[in-house]
Amino acid sequence: MKEDIRQISLLDWDKNYARLKRAGLKDPFYGGLLSRHVKEGDLRLLRLKFDNSPEALNLWNFLLTEEERLKAARQNGKKIVGTMKDLGTVPVLAYAFSNVVAFYPDGAWWIPCIMELSAGLLSIADSIGINDSFCPVRAMLGAFISGAHFPIPDLLICSTGATCDDFSAIAQRLSGLGYPIHWWEIPHRHPPDLGESGVPLPGGFQTSPALVDHVKSELEGIKISLEALTQETLDEKKLLASIEVSNRIRKYLNELRRLTFTANLCPLPALELLIAEMLAIHFCSDREETMHVLEGLLYRVRKRIATETGFFNRDAVRIFWVNPVADLSVMNLLEDCGGRICGTEYLFTHALDEIPTDSPPIEALAKMALADPMVGSASDRAKRICRDMRSFGSEAMIISKIPGASHCALEGSIIAEKIRRDLNLPVLEIEVPPVCDSIRTSLRTRLSALIEIVKQRRKN
Amino acid sequence: MIFAGIDSGSRAIKVILIDEERRILGSGIMDQGVRQAALASQLLKQTVKQIGAIQEEIASILATGYGRDALEFADETVTEITCHAQGVLNQIPQARTIIDIGGEDSKLIRLDADGRVRDFMMNDRCAAGTGRFLEVVSRQLEIDIQNLGNNAHLANKPAVISSMCVVFAETEILGLLASGESTENIIAGVQMSIASRIASMAGRQITEPVILTGGVALISGMAQVLEKTIGHQITVAENPQMTGAMGAAILASHQEE
Repeated sequence: MKEDIRQISLLDWDKNYARLKRAGLKDPFYGGLLSRHVKEGDLRLLRLKFDNSPEALNLWNFLLTEEERLKAARQNGKKIVGTMKDLGTVPVLAYAFSNVVAFYPDGAWWIPCIMELSAGLLSIADSIGINDSFCPVRAMLGAFISGAHFPIPDLLICSTGATCDDFSAIAQRLSGLGYPIHWWEIPHRHPPDLGESGVPLPGGFQTSPALVDHVKSELEGIKISLEALTQETLDEKKLLASIEVSNRIRKYLNELRRLTFTANLCPLPALELLIAEMLAIHFCSDREETMHVLEGLLYRVRKRIATETGFFNRDAVRIFWVNPVADLSVMNLLEDCGGRICGTEYLFTHALDEIPTDSPPIEALAKMALADPMVGSASDRAKRICRDMRSFGSEAMIISKIPGASHCALEGSIIAEKIRRDLNLPVLEIEVPPVCDSIRTSLRTRLSALIEIVKQRRKN
Repeated sequence: MIFAGIDSGSRAIKVILIDEERRILGSGIMDQGVRQAALASQLLKQTVKQIGAIQEEIASILATGYGRDALEFADETVTEITCHAQGVLNQIPQARTIIDIGGEDSKLIRLDADGRVRDFMMNDRCAAGTGRFLEVVSRQLEIDIQNLGNNAHLANKPAVISSMCVVFAETEILGLLASGESTENIIAGVQMSIASRIASMAGRQITEPVILTGGVALISGMAQVLEKTIGHQITVAENPQMTGAMGAAILASHQEE
């Protein structure tokens, strides 16, 4: 029997949940009704449309219960480490320690969306001088000051240098407020000098050996900080084991992406895939459970493909999406307008590439960190996007600019130009604030117009 | 067979009825209001009646414009970007760039050599660069909007409107009036300010022929100011306010095919 695949509202999920429970659904420890999160303030959920599978329910519940897990970790005597900005490198190092839970405070940038600004995090940031000329990740400051969204970490680690200027300024403000940070420097990635033999990096880049050495020494410094925090010595064996687990997660995610992007019928909506992809950088404070959640999604996606079932029409326009959106409802909107996601670049492709296993582990992590799309040039980023768009058969690209993010001002036009020139595909640039209701009509017009352009091209 | 195109814009609703040969059978226009669907339906009925037809003779209705989704009686909805392109190409098949300045937004639409929409840019976050700016000035200077262009022609030195926001520009205009600046120079300055906004949205991405559509194209002198600002010759579409509705009617006839 074919699965009844639908995107459903939050209220429909409650009915669906009751039906699934009667049919014998076994909840994980974080499971339950999705609507309970609304009572805790996650108002935006009422406006989203969700995949109706039990595996998608697990994904959402896993995401929305992170705070509870962090609090439980603290109660159980675990050390909590906030890994900021590097988007995926330091968590691999942190999870190599037996008594550490790492999380991603930058993830607070979605709280204003999920809670529809009710938590007032952006206002708190405003009040300390970090106003809307900065990226919405400034909500993190509000989360630290209010103490309402995650326990204050025992250690904060933040990369700076060739990263987002906004984030460095925001983290610097946090440090000034009395939250000590272990800073580490990630240099701008450049190709090897003339006559110098290059070091191959994940993602197909090459760089100078001096840069790899520099990042290695920075990561050694982080290792020392973590050892001091945990009173545990980190040997190569433990780090290799951590890399192996992370690589398994990356394999799952890459398979999930490949299957979703290339299937004839879309087997997983954009919103769920976005949330799943984000697990690559923060593991939602539980790396083991991340694997279970992804295994579940992979099972569901494979099953849908095997039974030729999926979402949307077969002629849904295949969109490559660049940068994460501050308002999650826009992913639903794209699908309402006749699009589907066929390729993504959410600023952390380095956290999806497998970490090299042919180098000593710290060196392997250094190589991974240097493959960060934000660490290299915008044209490097554009090249990779171009390659991925070709392989996934994307028909158009949407660049979602992050309001206030300094890097978005220039990189968008470089990426757009490359795609227009090399692939002759249409590109749409939009800017999405944390709650986009006031510009929803306009966004709908833009997205629909892009879909119409592609459909017109198909005819010709 | 009759095909209907309805452009439910932010300031006005426009209806065009065509036959299979794309001949215009009738057209109508009315101010936009709160009950968008009822108003559009009323205008459609009026227009149908004017040509001596009945509603049942309409084979297909296609709605466009920002209020298109409210028109549940339409058979299909298509964005104004596609409709303006279709409407312009019907008049000028070799068109490569369309500048559409409406009541609440402005758009730059680029077409490829085959007449397909290549890409587009939109300004709808700010009233500067839209017809709204002219409405504000018209009210402020107590000059009918239709006569703004005639007044602008009399300007000897267009005033510099430096504010990038209509709200602040209003204050700036008050200051100019207080300092004795002529209304003609102020209007010419506002036209230049709108043109500058369009030019900055377009950048260097303009290929001729450039066609101007939308209600603002009806303001005398606007095309000339825009021409001077962007450095390209501009042709004003015939009946520019109706271009979107015409495109919608043509696309409605395609739906039937």
